[in-house]
Amino acid sequence: MSGDHHNTDDTGPAARVKALEAILTEKGLIDSAAIDAIVDIYETRVGPRNGARVVAKAWTDPAYRKRLLANATSAVAELGFAGPEGEHLVAVENTDRVHNLIVCTLCSCYPWPVLGLPPVWYKSFAYRSRAVSDPRGVLKDFGLELAPEVEVRVWDSSAAIRYLVIPERPKGTEGMSEDALAAIVTRDSMVGVAKIAAPTSRRGGSAPARA
Amino acid sequence: MSTATTALNKLIEAARLDADHVFSAPWEARAFAIALKLSEAGHFSWDEFRDRLIAEVGASDRIRARDGTSDYGEYYEHFLHALERLLDEKGIAR
Repeated sequence: MSGDHHNTDDTGPAARVKALEAILTEKGLIDSAAIDAIVDIYETRVGPRNGARVVAKAWTDPAYRKRLLANATSAVAELGFAGPEGEHLVAVENTDRVHNLIVCTLCSCYPWPVLGLPPVWYKSFAYRSRAVSDPRGVLKDFGLELAPEVEVRVWDSSAAIRYLVIPERPKGTEGMSEDALAAIVTRDSMVGVAKIAAPTSRRGGSAPARA
Repeated sequence: MSTATTALNKLIEAARLDADHVFSAPWEARAFAIALKLSEAGHFSWDEFRDRLIAEVGASDRIRARDGTSDYGEYYEHFLHALERLLDEKGIAR
């Protein structure tokens, strides 16, 4: 933000939110504890770790993968993940021939129960305006270049539906447990802007993978 | 195209450096939580809120498309405008 924005005076967003919270509290419509609780849920408890568990289970349990692709809302609910923006969830699977990418061209629709709230770039004009018209260009910005024969499918979440990408399971992960697999699944891979790199040799011990 | 690409690259880089923060200021978190709480309590549906948010974002997009300017995370300002507008329409915060 430039210094021309007078965000510290009483017309700035922080002051407006404070005033709004005060008046709504006074009217008995909200209370600080309830607001604190929601902030805590979305800052610390709902996030891409949930989606990573879904993906890891789909990779290791063929029956679960089938249920996830047939009805993602009920399949993620099996793992305890449900809530706003997850009512009509669809899982789309990446293969060596198809790469899926999700966007919300109109605003910011995103599968909260499995990925949490979207990152800044997902809500940006730069991403929203180009994901449909130039998906390969957008993926290049993320450092992902797909072979020309790979079909790119872009899913626009602007209707009631939210999407989750099931990334490709990297080679070299055959012996890994579901928990270990969940640890390598990234948020970006579940939006479709990244692939998951094959883990480097694990013989050196149990050092955690770095993002 | 190159302007948009540069803008996206900056945002991607910012997200990599700060991967765990979904809000960039406390007021963003509170605005989000207030909207969700009021919606859960039935004062409006999330769809009603989203319609206002789409209108705010769309107005901003049209200006950017025309002027070629890029955005750097003003999303929650649109979010707050949408919330204020909806509360005003419903007479909730008077």
